[in-house]
Amino acid sequence: MSISRVKIAIVGSGPAGLSAAARAAELRIPHLLLEAEAHLSHTIYRYQKGKQVMAEPTVLPLRSVAPFAAGKRETVLQAWNDSAQRLGIQIRYGAAVIRIGATPDGFLLDTASGGTIAAERVVLAIGLQGNLRKLGCEGEDLELVQYQLDDPDAYRNEAIVIVGAGDAAIENALALADNNQVSIVNRRDEFDRAKKGNREAILQAIAEGHIRHLSNAAVSWLRQDAPGQGRLCLDTAEGKAEIVCNRVIARLGATPPRQFVESCGVQFPSRDANAVPAVSAHYESNVPGLYIIGALAGYPLIKQAMNQGYEVVEYIEGRSPEPADAPLLAAKFRAMPGYQSVDASIARIRERVPVLAPLTPLQLREFLLDSELRIMKPGEPIFRRNDYSDSFYSVLDGGVQIQIDENDPTQRVGLQAGQFFGEMSLISGRRRNASVLAGPAGAVLIETPRGSMNKLIASVAAVKRVLDETFLLRAIQAKLAPGLDAAELRELVASASLARYSAGEILFREGEPGDCLHLIRKGSVTVARELGGREAVLAYVPAGQYVGEMALLTELPRAATVKAAVATETIRLEASAFKALLTRHPALRQRINETMAQRLVANAATSSQGSGSIVQFLMNQGLGEATDVLLIDESLCVRCDHCEKACADTHGGVSRLDRETGPTYEQLHVPTSCRHCEHPHCMKDCPPDAIHRSPGGEVYITEACIGCGNCERNCPYGVIQMGVTSPEQPSLWRWLLLGGKEPGNTPMAVDKGAAKKAVKCDMCKDLGGGPACVRACPTGAAVRVSPEQFLQISQGAE
Amino acid sequence: MMATTPAADPVHQGFLRHANFRWAKLALLLCLLSLIAYVWHQPVDGANGGSWLGYALGGVGALLILCLLWLGVRKRRYRSRLGTVKGWTSAHVYLGLSLLLIVSLHCGFQFGLNVHTLAYALMVLVIASGIWGLIAYDRVPGRITQLHGGSDREAWIEEVFDLNEQAIWLANELSPEVHRRIVASAEKLQLGGSLREQLFGASRPSGGDGLRESLEQRIAELRGDASRPGALDPSKQNTVMFMAGQLQQTSGGEQEAARIQKLLKLLARRNELVVRINKDIALHARLQLWLLLHVPLSLALLAALIAHVFSVFFYW
Repeated sequence: MSISRVKIAIVGSGPAGLSAAARAAELRIPHLLLEAEAHLSHTIYRYQKGKQVMAEPTVLPLRSVAPFAAGKRETVLQAWNDSAQRLGIQIRYGAAVIRIGATPDGFLLDTASGGTIAAERVVLAIGLQGNLRKLGCEGEDLELVQYQLDDPDAYRNEAIVIVGAGDAAIENALALADNNQVSIVNRRDEFDRAKKGNREAILQAIAEGHIRHLSNAAVSWLRQDAPGQGRLCLDTAEGKAEIVCNRVIARLGATPPRQFVESCGVQFPSRDANAVPAVSAHYESNVPGLYIIGALAGYPLIKQAMNQGYEVVEYIEGRSPEPADAPLLAAKFRAMPGYQSVDASIARIRERVPVLAPLTPLQLREFLLDSELRIMKPGEPIFRRNDYSDSFYSVLDGGVQIQIDENDPTQRVGLQAGQFFGEMSLISGRRRNASVLAGPAGAVLIETPRGSMNKLIASVAAVKRVLDETFLLRAIQAKLAPGLDAAELRELVASASLARYSAGEILFREGEPGDCLHLIRKGSVTVARELGGREAVLAYVPAGQYVGEMALLTELPRAATVKAAVATETIRLEASAFKALLTRHPALRQRINETMAQRLVANAATSSQGSGSIVQFLMNQGLGEATDVLLIDESLCVRCDHCEKACADTHGGVSRLDRETGPTYEQLHVPTSCRHCEHPHCMKDCPPDAIHRSPGGEVYITEACIGCGNCERNCPYGVIQMGVTSPEQPSLWRWLLLGGKEPGNTPMAVDKGAAKKAVKCDMCKDLGGGPACVRACPTGAAVRVSPEQFLQISQGAE
Repeated sequence: MMATTPAADPVHQGFLRHANFRWAKLALLLCLLSLIAYVWHQPVDGANGGSWLGYALGGVGALLILCLLWLGVRKRRYRSRLGTVKGWTSAHVYLGLSLLLIVSLHCGFQFGLNVHTLAYALMVLVIASGIWGLIAYDRVPGRITQLHGGSDREAWIEEVFDLNEQAIWLANELSPEVHRRIVASAEKLQLGGSLREQLFGASRPSGGDGLRESLEQRIAELRGDASRPGALDPSKQNTVMFMAGQLQQTSGGEQEAARIQKLLKLLARRNELVVRINKDIALHARLQLWLLLHVPLSLALLAALIAHVFSVFFYW
C-alpha cells in the first residue's frame, strides 16, 4: 500500500480531533483525520438515541471551526458530519492506528488494516474509552459478529453466542436469554471477574438451563454460511467443537489507551490509573511534534476539547492565539493587588507557591481556572472547625492563623505566603479539624476544589509527595504531639510508613504483641473483641483518629482486634520511636494516658451492653465510610412512605430514597439512600465537576450536571438515579378537595425529550430544619445519624 | 475520643415518647384543669353546654378537633417547618384522647336524639378507630419485618414469576398435558385483590386440583413403588395412565422421576412464596384498614360539628 504524506495527522475524530481537522481544512493544511470506526466521534455516537448532549462549562466560549451547541445526540452528530463535508476534511474511516513511530522528518503511523501514513506532526485525540478488543481469530470482522449490544429487545428467537465472562458479557447474556437461545463462551470455568450480583445471576441462569455455559473454551474461528447463519469453532480441553449460531456477541473489554500512548514514547507522570500525560502550554507531549488534546490530556468536556483542537493547529502553524480561557482568568486575577496581566499573574503564582511549581503551564492554567482567588481581611475566618468543606488553600500573600486548641483561641500556629492548608480534610474526607483565620495583615488565597486537587495529585507526583509528607507531620502534631515542632518529631516521622488495608482486612489481632500505632488517614476501622465465642464490636473509629495506643503504653498484648471497615489507609508509627518521644515529653505521656482511660471506660460500657452485632451489621453495609445515613426503625415504621413522598415533593417530583429496598437487621433497616461517604465514589469521575460537598457535609449535584451517568455507575450503593425533575408540584388543596394527583406520590408529567440529569439526596441542605424525610415521618421511625452515633442507635434499638 | 455517654439520650424516639411525653403531659394538664373547673362550677340548671363553662369547654373541644384534623394537611406539607410530623402525631394522639373527657364535660353528660349527640357519637367513633390504629401501629410493623426476614415483596414476586417460568419449562419437557396444567396453575395464582381478599386471602384455593398428587403418583410409578397411597385413586387414573403411556416409551424412568421431583419442589417453593406475599399484603392492609374508618368518620364529625355549632347559635 502506498504511503500517504500529510503535514498533520490527527488520530481520533471526537470533538478534539474533529475540531483540529476542521481548522486544518479551513487553513488548507494537508491533513488526515484517522478514525478507527466507520463514523465520526464514536463515544458520542454510542450515546443512546435522543440523549441530550450538554455544553458545560457554560462560561467558556467555543472557539472552533466546527459547530457545537447543547442539543440532542443526533443534532450534534449531524452538525459535525455536515461541517466535515462542507470544510472538506480528509477523513479515513476504519483506520485504527496501532503504532506511531518517530522518523527524522516526522512520524510514521501504521493502521490495523495495513496502511501507513507519514506526517510531520501528529495530534493524538483518542480520548479515554480505548478500542474494543476483537476476537483475534479468523472471522473477527464478519457481519455475524458484533462487539456491542445496544438494544437486547431487538433480537428474538436467535441462537446467540456471547464471548467473554466480564460484566458486559453477563449482562448481555442475561438480557438476551429472555427471547433467545443464549450460550456464553468462557475461557475459564468461573465468572470471578464479574460483580457479585452478575455472577450470582449468571450462575443461576446456567443452573436453570436458560443459558448454556461453554467453559474452558476459546474461540478458534468463525465462519459465515449465509446472512445470519454461521458456525463458531471452539478450542476446549476435549478438543475442537463446532456450534451453529445466528449471531456472535464478543464482549472482551477495551485496550486501555495508556498502553498504546506509552508505546508512542509518551511518558505518564505516575502509575495512578487516573494519570494523564503531561503536555506543554502548546499541548506538545514529551515527544517533540506529538501533540495530545482532549480527554486523554485531562480535558473531558466537549467544549474544552474543541477549543484545544483549534488551538493546537494554530500552535503547529507557529501562531499563539490567546487561549480561550484568558478572559476568564483575567476576571479572576483582576482583584489581585498589583494585577498586570494574566501571564504575569500566573508567573507570580508559580514563583510564590512552591507546591505549584512542578505543574506544567497548562496544568497550572487549568488549576487556576478551577480555583477561586480569595482576598481576606485581617482576622476574617476562612473555615471553622467541624465544617465539612474540603477545598485546598494556597497562601499567595499575607498569612493565616490556625487555631489548634478549640478551647483556647490564643493558641495559634501561623502559616506564611507560599504555604498551604486544608490537605487534612482533602485526604481524610472528614470535617475540618481546626479553624483557620486570615492573619493580621490579611491574606490572598487560592482556593481549589477537591476534584481539581485530586486530579493534580494523580498527575503530578511531586505534589502528591509534598501533600503526603505535610499531612503526616501535621496529623502527628494535631493528634499526638501538639506543641512539638517538626525538628522534635523528625525521628517519629521518619519511622512512619503508609499502610493500606482493603475492607475487612485486619490491622492487628487481639493478643498479638503491640509494636505500632495506626493513625487513620482515610477510611475507618472497627475495634472488636471476642466475647463468649463471638465477635463484639466495641467501637468505630473514623479517619483522623488513631488506634493501637494501649499496647504501646502498657507493654501488654493487643486488647482488641482492629479491622478496616472500608478501604483504609493508615500511617503506621513504630513503637520504639514513639516510646522514645514519650520519654522525652512527659506531658505527652499524660495526654495519651488520659485518652486510653477514656477508651477503656467506653469499651467496658459497650461490651456490657452487647450491642456490637448491630454495629457489625451496619459496617457490613459499607456504612464505615458514611458520614450521615438514613436508618429506619422498622418496629415504628408504618410503611406510609411519607419519607419518599416528602423527598419527591421537595425535590422536583423525584424521590431520592427507596424505603423498601435495602437490608434489615433485627428491626434496623438501611434503606437505599445516600450516606454521604467520606470519599464519595460518585465524585470520582464527574466530567463537569458538578458534585460537591457543602460545609454541612451534604454531597450534592449542581446544575452543571451533563447527565453522563458516571456517578450513577460509580456509586456502589445504588443511590443515584438519572431523572427529570419538574419545578411544579401537585397542589395539596386541589388533591384534598377535588382528588387527582397527590403531592409527592405521582410524578408530574415531564417533557419526554427533557435531558436526564443525575439526582441524589442533598439532605435538604437548602430547606432548613433538617431532611424532609425525617421531618415527615409521623412515628419517628426514620432517623439520620452519623457513624459516631451507631453505638447509641444500636442500644436504642435493642 | 470514643467516650460515648452510654444510652443517656437515645438517638431516636417513637412518636408516643416524643419530647419526653410533652403532649401527654399537656393533655393530662388540660384534662385536670377541665375536671377541676367542672367540679367547682355548679350552675343552677346542672352542668350543660349552655353555661359559661360549657361554652368554654366546647370552644376548647372544637378548637382541638380542628387542630387534630389539620394533621392531615400538615403531614402532606412537606416543606412546612411548623414542628415535625412526629410532634404533630404525638399531639394528635394525646390531645385526641383528652377530647373524650373535655367534650363529655362540655355536654355535662346530657345526651339525646339530636345533632349534638350525633356529633358526640361520631367523635367517640373517631377516637375509637384512632385507638385501633394505635394498636395496629404497635403490633403490625414488627410482624412485617419478621415476615420479610431481610427480603422484600418485590423480590418474592420476581421469584414467583421466575419459578413459574422454570416450572413451565420443565413441564414442557414432561408432556403437553403436564405443561397445560402447569400453565393453568400459573395463570390461576392470585396476589392481593379486593380489600376483602387482601385481608383474608383469595377465596380460590391454589394447587388443589390434584396436580401434585398425580405427579407424585407418577414418580412412584416410575420408581416401581405401586404401594404409594393414591396409586389406585380412580379419579386420577386417566391422567396418570395417559402420562404413564407417554413416558414408558422413553427410557430412563429415573431421569423423568427426578425431573418431576424437581418440578414439585419448584411448585412447593412457589406456593410458599405466594402464601407469604399474600400474608404481607394482608399485614399492610391491616396497617391501613383503620384509616378507612378514621378519615371518613373525621370528615363526618367535622360536618356534624358545624351543624352542632350552627344550630346552637341559630336557636340561641
